[in-house]
Amino acid sequence: MVNISTPVTHWALMTLIFVLMGTFLLIAVALIRRWQQIRFARHVHTLHHRYRPVLARLLSGARSAGGIEALRELPLADLELLFDPLFSQRKLTERQLVFLEALCADLGLIALWQSRSAAGHTATPLYSGDGTPGNHPGGAAGRYLLRAKSIRNLGKLRHRPSWPLLVNAVDDRHPDIQLLALRSLGAMGAPESFPFLRERLHAVVQRESTSPPLAGLQAAMVSFDLSCAPALLPSLRHPDRHLRLHAMEILRTMVGREAARQPRLILIQELLSPPVVDLLLTVLAVDLSAEVRARVADVIVFVADARATSVLHDLLIDRQWFVRLHTVRALSQWRQTTKPQHLEVGDCLHDPHWRVRETAIQTLISFGQKGRDHLYKHFLTSPDHNTRAQIVEVIERTGLMSVLVEEYSTGTKGVEALMVEYLASDTAPMGISGVLRTLEPESRKRFLDRFLPYAEATMRFPEETHTEMGSSLSLQQILEFPPHLAA
Amino acid sequence: MTYLRAILYDAVIGFNLVVLSYFFLGNGIYTILMLLSLRATWMHMREMTYQGLDAMRLSPMTPPVTIIIPAWNEQDVIVNSVRSALQVDYPDLQVIAVDDGSTDMTLDRLVKSFGLVEMDGAYHPTISTGSIRTYYINPAIPNLLVVSKVRGGKPDALNAGINLCRSPYFCNLDADCLLERDALLRLMDPIVNSDRETVVSGGIVRILNGCETKNSRVTKVGLPRTWLERFQVVEYLRSFLLGRTGWHLVGGTLIVSGALAVFHRATVIEAGGFSPDTVTEDMDLIVQLHQWAADNNRRIHMSFTSDPVCWTECPSTLARLANQRRRWQLGLCQTLWKHYEILFRRKYGIVGCVSFPFHAYVEGLGAVVEFLGYFLIPLGILFGMVSPGLLLVFILLGFIYGGFLSVGAVLLEELNYRRYPRLRDLMTLLVFAVFENVGYRQLVLYFRFQGVLKFLAGSRRWEKVAHIGAIAEG
Repeated sequence: MVNISTPVTHWALMTLIFVLMGTFLLIAVALIRRWQQIRFARHVHTLHHRYRPVLARLLSGARSAGGIEALRELPLADLELLFDPLFSQRKLTERQLVFLEALCADLGLIALWQSRSAAGHTATPLYSGDGTPGNHPGGAAGRYLLRAKSIRNLGKLRHRPSWPLLVNAVDDRHPDIQLLALRSLGAMGAPESFPFLRERLHAVVQRESTSPPLAGLQAAMVSFDLSCAPALLPSLRHPDRHLRLHAMEILRTMVGREAARQPRLILIQELLSPPVVDLLLTVLAVDLSAEVRARVADVIVFVADARATSVLHDLLIDRQWFVRLHTVRALSQWRQTTKPQHLEVGDCLHDPHWRVRETAIQTLISFGQKGRDHLYKHFLTSPDHNTRAQIVEVIERTGLMSVLVEEYSTGTKGVEALMVEYLASDTAPMGISGVLRTLEPESRKRFLDRFLPYAEATMRFPEETHTEMGSSLSLQQILEFPPHLAA
Repeated sequence: MTYLRAILYDAVIGFNLVVLSYFFLGNGIYTILMLLSLRATWMHMREMTYQGLDAMRLSPMTPPVTIIIPAWNEQDVIVNSVRSALQVDYPDLQVIAVDDGSTDMTLDRLVKSFGLVEMDGAYHPTISTGSIRTYYINPAIPNLLVVSKVRGGKPDALNAGINLCRSPYFCNLDADCLLERDALLRLMDPIVNSDRETVVSGGIVRILNGCETKNSRVTKVGLPRTWLERFQVVEYLRSFLLGRTGWHLVGGTLIVSGALAVFHRATVIEAGGFSPDTVTEDMDLIVQLHQWAADNNRRIHMSFTSDPVCWTECPSTLARLANQRRRWQLGLCQTLWKHYEILFRRKYGIVGCVSFPFHAYVEGLGAVVEFLGYFLIPLGILFGMVSPGLLLVFILLGFIYGGFLSVGAVLLEELNYRRYPRLRDLMTLLVFAVFENVGYRQLVLYFRFQGVLKFLAGSRRWEKVAHIGAIAEG
């Protein structure tokens, strides 16, 4: 019926048969793959069901010679399957890590992972295609996967003696292995490996090398302890501004991490090393690159040095808005008592860039009562509508509005009371009414009992409002800066 | 008469050649994309087996992200959608829901569900938008901001969200979508771990119909019950796993689903933000970014990862499907027409020389070619210009080749993700993949053809697809 003598028809028919066979082949592959996975999942399930209690006991520190013997009888491939979820897990406790490392060493897994990390692509395959011990599925691809997992596991265990192997793996031809080796080095934090990473940073930033990935390199370097920071000096001093920027970024992130760990962190010179501190305060703070200057404040705020305050002051009036932004944001971390910084931050409320103003508001709030007082006074006296609107927004978003309203309902006087009356009658009626809806009926009643006479008086005698009905202090009295702040 | 017959003969032969070229170009390129995707997704999944996302989660280098959810009359789904966004596992996350002047209970439900109170916000528009009417917050949920604005369309709502967000990256999420917990970490992975300037990172959208949900999260993945929805499952797999992954690999990304994508805020603002010129603002923005980057000598990179998952409802009735497909085709035509100057311009690289022409011919014009083909080729038989045997073989080839590609997409899913855990689901998917091209494809083609007609008629109307409530029931 079909005329296959026509060349086109013949050709089309051949294609049809070929595609049909291809479709059947794909269907067969999908089904076989599913069958393999079912078998593999059963094997893993059996393994976990049988040995997980033993493993849990050993990781809790309980002595169990029988348990270790039972694990020793397992082939290495099965041991890896058993241990794999532990390494994929989010977080192991320090105690568990210690026992896990000892157990892995005892069972020969660390030696296996080290040999794989060192051997590159010549590691022995462990699994067969159907998931039974013997050969790993996927041939070369499988070996690559084993290598990757070995590097990951050494990093998770923070097995410091393995750092030279991981340093070599950073030069692996595969970018994923490079990235993984960097992460593992970061997790290990062996100080001996830091200078090596710094050299790689130089090579990558100066385009002498395209690998390893810069983002991975930075992420690894920031994970090191702050005591490694002096090793960054050559980069911080380097004439290449890109290199200085990356080094500065690494340093500020290291400091930021340390600050998150130690809420009362103050960097004395010895902690960061005097040359680094000097460089920060005298050279990098006036760097030609604004990007570098912008990052300096994040470190300087923690430095216990008499020069820090004046350097920060200069950065607060930098010509670039993002330098001012970074500085004013960094000041929220100010933990020293040498001089109240909020007055200078207060100046940033007049900044021409709205992001700087917004951050200044947030920083003032983070200063506590003094900062908030300054903010409220600025709000009550500033003719700048935009800044006032920003202050209201931040006050509401940070939940400060609820605090103000509750305090007002308890009869608090002073600048807070004035603030609430201004907000309620003029600038932020929505915010106030929104908060009022969330208050307990009793508190709401107290608020209204106090506020309504004020509102009534405002309507009758707008010019006398604040002095007569608001707080017991006059506006003028409140807005006069206390001598110690004015200084 | 002979002269007229000769013209008609030439026309039919010419059209047959167009149909043939459409058939071979479309299927040929999709076959190449399938092979590329097979390798890419394999590599990606292998990487994820050892890499995990802990490093990203704990890294101080992971940048903050804001999820922007534009909503217009989404009262049935908005609460669960916002809740799923808030539950996302990400170290520094903000969520901004933009109510675009809804006339139903969308805003009220948000206010009630999240205990929101009105606040007095300050708006600093970098991209001009309709005005914001009200801001809502709950200080106990500091990373949620809800705003109500005057109706301006989805692009306008997204632009308002961009203006309000403070983070360097934002993720737009449709109000009818549920995000997986680690979707954002996976989306940000190519941005954080790449040395290239990655300004867009897109992810895969999967169909929620048939799945079980609890607390705004998918708890059990399953296939929907009706044939229409099942065909769409296969279609989505082919579109995302095969098409988009493949185009990403050759650097020709032209479509990133607006349902789930991360963008670099500053770049989007520089490129002008979302434009209201088309009804598919997501595709329009991607093409706009390509054009802007080439015109300004900026080397940007767009990433597509087939791994991050957002679940969405698909139309369960023919009328809803028709609405959706007409809109997609209309938006495609509008976008292609708007940026026609990209076509075959070397300056725009692989996008201008391969991807854009392919989409214009196979996806845009293809709807007309294929639709008319079903009528004009039989005409050729009537005139004795085409042998019925050849026609039969080509029709069969068309069906089987389509099936081959769809089965390839199911295989990709099976090899790498295995989201449908039951063997019965896999078998069903394979059956539906084989038969997708018999009936369903023609149906969708008809809707696409209508979309082209709407484009030619100059329509810009947004056809809203009503929800069956799969998300709402969660």
